[in-house]
Amino acid sequence: MTSFAISAQHLARSFGTTHALVDVSLDVPAGNVCALLGRNGAGKTTTVRILTTLLDPDGGHAQVAGFDIATQADKVRGKIGVTGQTATMDELLTGHENLEIIGRFSHLGAAVSRRRAGELLQQFDLVDAGGQLVKRYSGGMRRRLDLAASLIADPEVLFLDEPTTGLDPVSRSEMWAAIRNLVSRGTTVLLTTQYLDEADQLADTIVVVDRGLVVAEGTPEQLKASIGRPSVVVTLADAEPGALEKVRAALGEDATIRGRSVSAPAPDGLVSLSEVVTLLEGIGVPIHEVGLEHPSLDEVFSAVTHRAGDPLPGGHPADATVGAAP
Amino acid sequence: MTVATIPAQNSFLSGAVDAYNATRRYLIRGKRQPDIIFGSVLFPVVFVVLFGYVFGSSITVPGGNYHSYLMSGLFAQSTLFASANVAVAVATDMNEGVIDRFKTLPIARSSILIGRGLSTMILGLPALAVMIVCALAVGWRPENGIFDAFLGFLLIELFAFALCWLGILVGLIAKSSQSADVLINIPVFLLGFISNVFVDTSKMPVWLRVFANWNPVSSVVAAGRNLFGNTIGPAPAGVWSLEHPEITTIGLAIIIIAIFVPLCVRRYSRTSR
Repeated sequence: MTSFAISAQHLARSFGTTHALVDVSLDVPAGNVCALLGRNGAGKTTTVRILTTLLDPDGGHAQVAGFDIATQADKVRGKIGVTGQTATMDELLTGHENLEIIGRFSHLGAAVSRRRAGELLQQFDLVDAGGQLVKRYSGGMRRRLDLAASLIADPEVLFLDEPTTGLDPVSRSEMWAAIRNLVSRGTTVLLTTQYLDEADQLADTIVVVDRGLVVAEGTPEQLKASIGRPSVVVTLADAEPGALEKVRAALGEDATIRGRSVSAPAPDGLVSLSEVVTLLEGIGVPIHEVGLEHPSLDEVFSAVTHRAGDPLPGGHPADATVGAAP
Repeated sequence: MTVATIPAQNSFLSGAVDAYNATRRYLIRGKRQPDIIFGSVLFPVVFVVLFGYVFGSSITVPGGNYHSYLMSGLFAQSTLFASANVAVAVATDMNEGVIDRFKTLPIARSSILIGRGLSTMILGLPALAVMIVCALAVGWRPENGIFDAFLGFLLIELFAFALCWLGILVGLIAKSSQSADVLINIPVFLLGFISNVFVDTSKMPVWLRVFANWNPVSSVVAAGRNLFGNTIGPAPAGVWSLEHPEITTIGLAIIIIAIFVPLCVRRYSRTSR
């Protein structure tokens, strides 16, 4: 018995000649929120479809809530809730009917299904809309109903595939609040997202996937730290090549030229900054600005999902805490 | 949180409950699409009146009433068209996210399809009733009495249920509802017209006649004619299927169900699309 709510080893899946998943492994401890972060086509949805028993992997294996997805698919289905990327609510049924039928299909029985449907409509602020056909719902209401439906049997593990894609900012923050509320009750969540801020806001751990591979994983803080220490950026008054080269040479081997700026690692933060200022005084180049830059999750993302062979922005190769793809 | 799932002690019972719930869902959906019900009720009216008068008025058969002779065929043909509608509906279903959600729920794989089949039968009953009324209005009479007529309709409904699974399979195989529409029309027309619906099979060329005689449509039509008392002349001599159309209909329906239901469930369960 594993202590992980989700444990996947070396999942692979191809569609014809398209290798949607090459090698994805991930472990999510019970009660944690894991964000699968990646661009469109990175393999996020394929991973979710495999873990929710909708798709068989070509290779690898996985356990969800302690059950094997291949040999105990029905047991897995009894423990999970899934909110897919596409709307999964029946437009011709009311919100209440939709929830009730999912409850019945989760084998809650008719009475409990009705009670749970009522509770969830209340919890997701859909009481007034509960008796209306879903085709009259707004996008945000549909997503909330979809999330409510995946909670009807009180799942141990919840999968949310891009839960906020296409939502307006207000609906998005409502969705975030709903997800945080679930997490506070101990539900394990695997969510996929293309949005860094969403991963940063909600997740305990982030797994970055790119072209079917895990290219980085860790807590948001670890990922930020992995891409780098802060760097000092020196912007010159003019983009004069000689002057730029002079500054670069002065700042040391790791310094790189970007436009009319030179940036160099600043491992000691402000101390490094003042050292650089002292250095610059000695070389007599007109300086426009000197500043300290902290890496953002955006930089982590673009660094680790950069195409192999391309130079990494900032010139910092992903270091040891970033789990490089095998 | 206290949400106790009822443990599935008996997988057959639990599957039956799933199928019941799926049927219920399709019935609610059906009720919300009055235009489809309206169309399905109107269609047989047009059908009976059109065919009844167009063919019934111009074709005369010795020793009988072609109008009445035709009616059993029209009942059977309407079940063919119903299976075509099922194919399109299933193909539409499969392209909606809701089926993906159902596949992540711990329900019997067959239940959604059984629900589709049973609800189609139930939602088709008003159309059948209207069709019977129309038939009576244009002069058709069940000559053998109510009980035999009831048995006749029971056979037609059994046949309709079997045919429904052909529609479901085509709907599952088709990539879109348009392609389902195109694909299902091939078997529907072959079965519908290479049969005894409009004409006696005995004058067809041999190769066509063998198909027509063993076509389940022919046997259900012949069974209907027998039970409604609308036969004209004796059954073609030496053709076992048409001499015993009731047994043939039941047998072929069971064979169709036994073959197509597992194929449909397998196709539905196939995880990759």
